[in-house]
Amino acid sequence: MAFAVAVDIGGTFTDLVAYDHENHRVAYAKSPTTYGNFVEGILDCFNKVKLQPEAASFVNHGTTLVINALIQRKGAKAALVTTTGFRDVLEIARGNRPDPFDLHYRRDDPLIPRPLRFEVPERIGSQGEIVTPLDSAALTALAGKIKSLGIEAVAIFFMNSYANPVHEEQAAAALRALLPGVFITCSTELTREWYEYERTSTVAANAYVGPQVTTYIRRLEDDLASQGFSGTLYMMGSNGGLLSVERTCRQPVGLVESGPIGGCIGAGAYAETLGLKNVIAFDMGGTTAKCALVEDGRFSVDSIYYAGGYVKGFPIKSSVINIVEVGSGGGSIAWLDPQNRLSVGPQSAGSTPGPACYGTGGTEPTVTDANLVLGRLNPDRFLGGELRLDTAAARKAVQKIGAPLGYAGADGLTRMADGIIALATVIMAGAIKTISIEHGRDPREFVLFCYGGGGPLHASALARELSIPTVVIPPEPGNFSAVGMLLADARLDVSKTFTGRLSDTTVASLKDAFADMEAEARATLVRDFGAGEVLFERFGEMRYVGQRHNIKVPLPDTADPAAIRTSFDRDYKRRYGHADARANAEFQALHLSAFSRMRRPELKWLPRAQGGSATPQRRQVYFGAAGTLDAAVFDRTALPVGFKGQGPALIEEYGSTTLIWPGDRFEVGTFGELRIQCGQG
Amino acid sequence: MQEALNHKHAAHAIDPITLEVVRHAMVSITNQIDANIKRTAFSAYIYEYNDFAVGLTDADGMLVAQCTGGMPPFVADSVGMAVRDGLHIYGKERLHHGDVVLCNHAAVQGQHLNNTVMYTPIHAGASRDALVGFFAINVHWIDIGGCVPHSTDIFMEGLQLRSIKLMSKGEPIEEVYRIIENNTRQPVELMGDIAAQLAGCLLGRDLIAALVDKYGAETFERAVDVILEQSEAAARALIRSMPDGTYTSETFLDNDRAGDEPLPIRIKVVVAGDEMTIDYSGIAGQVKGPINSGWFGGGQTTARVAFKYLMGAGEMANEGTFRPLKLILPPGKILSADPTAPMGNYSTPFPTVIDAVIKALEKALPARVPGGHFGTHSGVRFHGRRADGAFFGTHDSGHGGWGACATHDGAGPFRTMAHGDTRIIPLELQETYLPVRIEAFSLREDSGGAGEFRGGLGFRKRYRMLAPCGLQTNLDRTKFPPWGVQGGKPGEPGRFLLVEGATGRERPIEKEKGLQLKAGDLVSVETGGGGGYGPPQARTLERIQRDLDGGYVSKAAAERDYGVTVGTDGKARRETMDDRK
Repeated sequence: MAFAVAVDIGGTFTDLVAYDHENHRVAYAKSPTTYGNFVEGILDCFNKVKLQPEAASFVNHGTTLVINALIQRKGAKAALVTTTGFRDVLEIARGNRPDPFDLHYRRDDPLIPRPLRFEVPERIGSQGEIVTPLDSAALTALAGKIKSLGIEAVAIFFMNSYANPVHEEQAAAALRALLPGVFITCSTELTREWYEYERTSTVAANAYVGPQVTTYIRRLEDDLASQGFSGTLYMMGSNGGLLSVERTCRQPVGLVESGPIGGCIGAGAYAETLGLKNVIAFDMGGTTAKCALVEDGRFSVDSIYYAGGYVKGFPIKSSVINIVEVGSGGGSIAWLDPQNRLSVGPQSAGSTPGPACYGTGGTEPTVTDANLVLGRLNPDRFLGGELRLDTAAARKAVQKIGAPLGYAGADGLTRMADGIIALATVIMAGAIKTISIEHGRDPREFVLFCYGGGGPLHASALARELSIPTVVIPPEPGNFSAVGMLLADARLDVSKTFTGRLSDTTVASLKDAFADMEAEARATLVRDFGAGEVLFERFGEMRYVGQRHNIKVPLPDTADPAAIRTSFDRDYKRRYGHADARANAEFQALHLSAFSRMRRPELKWLPRAQGGSATPQRRQVYFGAAGTLDAAVFDRTALPVGFKGQGPALIEEYGSTTLIWPGDRFEVGTFGELRIQCGQG
Repeated sequence: MQEALNHKHAAHAIDPITLEVVRHAMVSITNQIDANIKRTAFSAYIYEYNDFAVGLTDADGMLVAQCTGGMPPFVADSVGMAVRDGLHIYGKERLHHGDVVLCNHAAVQGQHLNNTVMYTPIHAGASRDALVGFFAINVHWIDIGGCVPHSTDIFMEGLQLRSIKLMSKGEPIEEVYRIIENNTRQPVELMGDIAAQLAGCLLGRDLIAALVDKYGAETFERAVDVILEQSEAAARALIRSMPDGTYTSETFLDNDRAGDEPLPIRIKVVVAGDEMTIDYSGIAGQVKGPINSGWFGGGQTTARVAFKYLMGAGEMANEGTFRPLKLILPPGKILSADPTAPMGNYSTPFPTVIDAVIKALEKALPARVPGGHFGTHSGVRFHGRRADGAFFGTHDSGHGGWGACATHDGAGPFRTMAHGDTRIIPLELQETYLPVRIEAFSLREDSGGAGEFRGGLGFRKRYRMLAPCGLQTNLDRTKFPPWGVQGGKPGEPGRFLLVEGATGRERPIEKEKGLQLKAGDLVSVETGGGGGYGPPQARTLERIQRDLDGGYVSKAAAERDYGVTVGTDGKARRETMDDRK
């Protein structure tokens, strides 16, 4: 047997998908996340699908462990070693106040406090020259101090190391020898780009989560091995590719967006198979909604990520899928300010106390409560009936904010609930507009691809808000992140600072630089994944001379500066609506993405086995201006490929419900996907 | 039910949900355009400094919504002033769909001429004939000619554009482009920024027009009215929470850059019921140096920025917010200068004025008013020629400590209250483009004022010159340090030092306009710290110890300011009553 398994550990649930490559059988399981020992939840999922770990050839694993440790400040006792004079770079940060009128604005504290930030004499100049040699005696003395303080991890950052990493490498080697068992990491192992604060912050974060991630992965490997697993464990990287365990243990910050990435990979795979050129991947969960653009089956990857958000958090220079996230999920709370102005989110009831209708202590009205009041959720079939929803509690919560706004009686309650959804829809549509406008795209030219527990419920309303004609709901929207992980490639992103005006000479040295990066990436992929064919994508961070902001341009495989210029002008114009034929162009950095295809399941085998009756039940559901209508309620697993229907309707399945508005038509596609053509208005 | 609702808001029959949907959509559009400009602009002023703001006004030029970020002085209503001037000159009937207008005029905005508002009317309806508002963007144009900082009147400061059309009915007016392009030292950057500003205006206009069309012009206009009323109600609620009375504060700017006399900043704030009057009658008169500003661009702007700080970040700034705020400001003051006065560095007094208005309310809002912040641009400008003969010049600004508040030590180092999301220029970038090596970039120990909560620290940045270089500095509040509140102590003022490479001699850098540095010289910028909050004796031992352990406060300062003794083990002890016996 050769099962491929993907496991996604989320805040509330652990999801598992197993796929048998020989018999094309698929199995899904969901189990509560087991804090304390995550492996229990995973093994519980194996039990539920009646699969022995020994039958799995490999396990792809995504986890929110890293981001949680960073945000909840549950990482290691870490120290920072810097060039003399620069230990405060981490604390001074960039000195900006993204919330300009907050008189009491403060950034979150640095991950490594000042008493644990040490300096050693050394200095590299801006051209990479050695100005002051590394003082190894001082470093040795420092190692003694670090040992005596019981420090678990050390981050090393030296000025201008991006131009010459030799001192960082020497210091890392020396400390590894002097401090066995301590997690040692240096900035240039993670990024070769300039900007001292961003590099310091990245290496500090890496050290902070290093010991915990290493321990977790080793334990997971051991526990799986003790259950007979003899395949390979891969981790899901934030760049959308799989990472080897060895690499993850050196670069745990590479997992920072490991959780949400799966869905984007899945959206890319479906888009490619379905021949959809432009897709907006939209994921609505319990606390947030996230969206990403997928063009030609590819999502864009940024090289910077703000843990804890741009306003108060800190940057990590790492390849992370470009996602826009808003605080609008099923658990988001609707509330009134002192002027009785209605808002939805970003506060969330989360899983504890949860929405009022969960009956687990929540009393504030949430988006889920509003959906229940409007008849859009079935109180008896939520999560396959595992959680019975309390409609009376939902009504009471919604009424609480309806009354001050003048919404009274049954009709008022409905209008209030509808208002909560309307506002959430505008907020989510705003996120989609932001990501499209930032990339110079028009959302109307995209297909809306929705998943996550809440995505399918809001998909059609969102599409109308954005004038998007077509919505696609993949099979298993509630497990879709795990599904996507099953479809991931091995991937490696490498970047380095590379400056110079676009000219014959720069293009020649650019080819050399890529050749070096490609050789290194290929060797790594071969070593970690036994990769056969390795595919490369090359990008330049470019701008017009004089600009400060770069755009990432795919570089054609050519030594012709004119072709590169054409590519840059085209992308620039597409993004910004204008290009400048007179201005010179210049490089700031090079990025290389290296891929190696893993064995992928065929999408047509992914839907669950068919069963049940295609004859719908009926329910009263509220549809905005059309009022409360008698809607057909289908069981998704009962709908065969080619099945067609129209709104008003609901399509229920485990973990999600799709709402079909009056005027919408839907069809079950070849791969089990629901394709909805949205009506007007 | 609906009848009841209509009755309740007889004048504005709009249901609260539609209202919120329109409000969120409006703010979201200004933020989307904000993001778009940041990514398209050519010059660092926009991308790194965020020296711009995006706004929406109603058909009469009253501010309705703005982007969340942006520079505070722009957020106060810089765009509205410009639009109203255009309305005055052209009238609504001569501002057509597709027109784009520019304004940077001193008599209108009263700020330096770089700040140029571009706006375009928004017409709703299928035939685009119903004027519903204006989409406006204020951008710091990188160079418009002129000879700041040596100017003595506004005419030495560059090109003035008073409500000039850049486009007419969708057609660019090439003559105006030619005038602009040939009156700047940096045409490539400026024309690039203008293209970004124009693209933002037009896209913003179309997004707002689509929103209006979706809900109907009547609903949109009612939503605007209610949004302004709600903001007004929130502002009045804040003022009502303060005891009625007359509140004052006094501080001084070091000088006007032309002479060396301190300039008084005397503030009077009168709180009466739900109205507040800020009285600037006691501030310095118009000065010779280029640090003047006009009544709207200086006086009203600083008053509104201060008020907005007190309102807090959650409240959107619009015309409604400022309805209960009155301003008394006679003409001829430094913040109400004649339109011909030099204004090149118009914002120099702003941080101090804004801070002083907030300070005046120390007793009225004890939980909200923090200690003073370092409050000065603390700028250094290096300029010269590289080995290859190419000119270089760069502004580097100082970030300093902010005041402590009722619950926390002061934050920072940040830039001043007249700045916002303005980021420090990376040192590795500076070392690549300038002939300097940065030898230290660290927090400045003991610079925060003592208190139950300590003021934030300034920083210390040391530049070693690798080649000869010219230097200009812009430092203030050296004689009148950032104050403490509620018994807290003042923060340390900033200072600039020069250590001569040849002799090792150290001396302070005063107000020198044209200092020539040699290779090997060291310039040390030490920025000011924030004022403390509450009496130092009330500071907990735990906080004092944390300061000592982190080196934020030295042993000597801890013993002096907090009355503790620090043992050889580094532990602070406070004398107890028993010890004293």
